[in-house]
Amino acid sequence: MSKTLTLSLSLATISLTTALAATTLLAETPSWCGPKQASLALLDGFGGNSWRLVTTASGKEEAAKCPSITQFEYADGQGNTQKAISDINSMAARGINAMVVFGDAGPAVLPALTNAHKAGTIVVPYRVNVGGEEGVNYAKFIGSSFVEDGKSWGNWIKENLPEGGNVLFLSGPAGNSQGLDELKGMKEVLDDKYVFINPEPFAVTNWDPSLTQQVLSAEIAKNDKIDVIVSDFGPSLVGALPVFAEFKRSIPMLATSDGNSLSCFWKQNHEANPDFKLFTVATGNDNARLAVQWAVALATDGTPPADSIFKAPVYEDSVSGTPNPVTCRDDLPGSIYLSAELADDAQAAAVGQ
Amino acid sequence: MAQQAGLTQQQRIAPDWRAIRLGRGFVTVVVSTLVLLAVCAVFAPSAVSAGGLAGSLPFAAIIAIVGLGQMLVVQQGGFDLSLAGGVSLAVVITTHLSGGNDAALFQSILIAVACALVAGAVNGFLVGVVRLNAIIATIGMNALLYGAVFAVSGGVPRITTPLMAEIAGGKVLGIPHSVLFALVVLVLVSFLLKATVAGRRFEAIGANPLAARAAGLPVRGYQASAYVLAQLLYCLAGVLISGITREPTAFQGDSLLLPSVAVVVLAGTSLLGGRGFPISTVIAAFFLNQLSQFALAVGVPFSAQTIIQALALVFGIGVYSVRFRATATNRATMSNSEETDDV
Repeated sequence: MSKTLTLSLSLATISLTTALAATTLLAETPSWCGPKQASLALLDGFGGNSWRLVTTASGKEEAAKCPSITQFEYADGQGNTQKAISDINSMAARGINAMVVFGDAGPAVLPALTNAHKAGTIVVPYRVNVGGEEGVNYAKFIGSSFVEDGKSWGNWIKENLPEGGNVLFLSGPAGNSQGLDELKGMKEVLDDKYVFINPEPFAVTNWDPSLTQQVLSAEIAKNDKIDVIVSDFGPSLVGALPVFAEFKRSIPMLATSDGNSLSCFWKQNHEANPDFKLFTVATGNDNARLAVQWAVALATDGTPPADSIFKAPVYEDSVSGTPNPVTCRDDLPGSIYLSAELADDAQAAAVGQ
Repeated sequence: MAQQAGLTQQQRIAPDWRAIRLGRGFVTVVVSTLVLLAVCAVFAPSAVSAGGLAGSLPFAAIIAIVGLGQMLVVQQGGFDLSLAGGVSLAVVITTHLSGGNDAALFQSILIAVACALVAGAVNGFLVGVVRLNAIIATIGMNALLYGAVFAVSGGVPRITTPLMAEIAGGKVLGIPHSVLFALVVLVLVSFLLKATVAGRRFEAIGANPLAARAAGLPVRGYQASAYVLAQLLYCLAGVLISGITREPTAFQGDSLLLPSVAVVVLAGTSLLGGRGFPISTVIAAFFLNQLSQFALAVGVPFSAQTIIQALALVFGIGVYSVRFRATATNRATMSNSEETDDV
């Protein structure tokens, strides 16, 4: 008798808990997460820097929000195009349902993506343009609007330097499309009063802090008047900005992307450098989240998100304090990005510090 | 025999300055550098301004130090492709193991030096003793070193300690510390090569290992030592980079491999081995760095910058490939000093 009672009681408890859990899960399950079960892979062309580690952790966290994803895989191409291609092929061969691909090598990975697409895998390349066409070579491309970043910088420069002035624009490797798009965005906003003093279209830094330092010291020596520096990789400037002190000049206004080390550098140095104003857009780690949402939606029959282009929001403005004042967390590693949705301590764990 | 006689007889007493014929490598490098400085002064004065030099000289010093390391290996007819891994490993060890903490800096530098010794010893063993091809052995070592770079750093850059930034980035009387480090290394290498018995043997072995062996010199040991000394210099360069660049990447050595070979060639060291030219190598490092500063200051497009550097190299190699009668001297009559071809 008591045995039956216990059994029925525990059964009741279990079913109640399950029902409750299911309701909670249903309530928290985002609309892009459909009912169909699927496996997901995140493929990186190059995974070896803090930005990529935070981005990967962000993508993984996003995928974990969807209970229909039964398996999550990650592969790092290590900057080797051959390995990136073979990663794509092997994930397709293993029968992974959906893959989110950071195609660093650009169109070189397109044939592998096309094969995977034709074999029935949901292929979502993001951020780097790999060429090809949606529906033919892959399911969906989730770009990032670098033109938008350029416009945000341009507007801030116009607001804080209404009379015009000399602009120094630094970007990555020669001819990279990100830098060209950003320049396009800035040119839409800034008129002839603003003179770009760098070599056309931008000063090449390869996003390497040591080359950035050399390029910047040459530009400072050459130009007596630099009113604003624009860079699409803010933290790489941290080593280079002290060069202004060598010339006994103030660090000028800076429009760039965010990074904890840069914000902390501003905190330490803005008082000694009266012209040093800082404006940042989010570095865009959350681009991976949008791509994961799309891939999961297509693979699990969920509702795809409304956006198909990631727009990096404005993050810090030392002048207006909106949307955020400059935010430095010197208790956390310099190489994390406070603009990312991923929690600060999760980022610190992701970069292994 | 003739060689040994020429190299071990250090009977030069008071030099007769009128009779000195300057060495071709030394003349080429010095003249090129002076011409470049003149061109800079006219077309790109900012590249030779005090501020411009202060910004660029630390990088010239780094190229000079790795160039001297590469020179030692090239003198033994080898090539050291593990330079990139060696420099990068020293960078990540000093930044990551110290963890931004001055107190842990000294230990982390000691660990970096220990790693360099091990890497150099393995390179030296593989090339000097097992007689593997230097390119193959050092490329393998480079991969191993990069494995260690990833193991230490995970590929993530980290900010250096304030003390290291002061040691490498500070200045004495307006001269960057890194330049002083390079000068000390230059004096040491020059002294060792040109004024000690071991150094004279080192050059003799590089010039002709078979003859050196016939003369009873321990060829293998000397060849192996070149790789160990080279790794120690790469390590020093890596440690300095970690102070000069506030947040160095984990791959900082990559961009140094080509310049290191370039300065050795520009300075006139034969890729087949033999005499080394430390002073010329250091001047060549300054020349190469100044050349890129010039290109940056003039504001030419990036493509043109690369072409200008490539042309400088072609010029450098061309100068040594054309043999003039006046300098086609017998090795036996060559002097043991760097700046002259005089006996």
